[in-house]
Amino acid sequence: MRKDVVVAICLAIVVVVISYVVTLGGGLGPLFNDVRPLATVYLSTTLNTFNPTFTVMSPEAVTAIVWDYRGLDTLFETAVFYLAIIGSVAVYRGIDEKLRVSEGFGLSKIVKVVTKLLIPMNIAVAASIALHGHLTPGGGFQAGAAMAVIPMLLIVVFSRYFLLDIRLSRNLALVLRSVGLLGIALTVFIPVVIGLVNGLNAYIMQNQAKANALVSLPAYVGDSLISGSLIMYNVSEFLAVTFGFSIVFILLSIEEGLVKEQMRGEGVEH
Amino acid sequence: MELTYLLLAISMLFALVATYLAVIEKNLVKAVIYSALQSVAFTLAFYLLKAPDIVLVYLPITVGVYPAAILFLIRKTEEVEET
Repeated sequence: MRKDVVVAICLAIVVVVISYVVTLGGGLGPLFNDVRPLATVYLSTTLNTFNPTFTVMSPEAVTAIVWDYRGLDTLFETAVFYLAIIGSVAVYRGIDEKLRVSEGFGLSKIVKVVTKLLIPMNIAVAASIALHGHLTPGGGFQAGAAMAVIPMLLIVVFSRYFLLDIRLSRNLALVLRSVGLLGIALTVFIPVVIGLVNGLNAYIMQNQAKANALVSLPAYVGDSLISGSLIMYNVSEFLAVTFGFSIVFILLSIEEGLVKEQMRGEGVEH
Repeated sequence: MELTYLLLAISMLFALVATYLAVIEKNLVKAVIYSALQSVAFTLAFYLLKAPDIVLVYLPITVGVYPAAILFLIRKTEEVEET
């Protein structure tokens, strides 16, 4: 019991000291008071129609930074996520999810009905985060994470056999995820192709025209602002993340006994 | 401004308590729930610090995806940590 008191006092001291240093002691200065010089650079260029050779044409500075200013960084983050998923798929290679009927599994009827009501709302929220990622806070990864909650809920509430009943198998998820990754890869090279066709200088992952590379992806469709490549990256990343997480949940939900049984069976054969 | 600081302090203190409980808890399922509670407090703090992009990704990941993944893993091992 005395150990708890010592720990509590230590934690309280740490909290007070850190709060003091960060706010009043001048560590980071008071919060919210001004915009720092680095932020001013981004905010003054992210949507600046008066400077067409140095802008992203997106009012959402965070998405602009993530997919344009430092787009390669995000590209390789996506590659890391891709490799992590491939690792889990490799661990579970050859393990067959046995088909069964989903009747009689899962939680009570009340939970199932509430989940059925929640799922359309969840899809709407995720879609709006993805499709408005270049206008309001959000983006591909955020939307994918919100959408990935749905297969998780389905597995927990309806049992994993339900996913097989609605034909969301591991392989379909892998295909849809690859479609998303392919979308990102193609979007990377679109400006280069446009540049080659028109004989202009262009960079990979370029979005709007730069001073020495006048290739621009369309910033508007009709009257709607789509910010060139940002909406394509967001939608592709949304697909890749949603189905990447789905694969992990499908694999994790396979019963341990089933996995061991199949692995042992394989060991005898060879 | 003062209200923002106050809410920030309350949410971070709540997060600290939840983190401490998550660390000392021997029952792993309860520890995951404490960890999710800590994440909720962090989400509020991120919102108050004007980082809505982080809020949108932090909430589904730390309250939905991460506890679910950890619970799946706990099901494959033991529920109570041995001393």
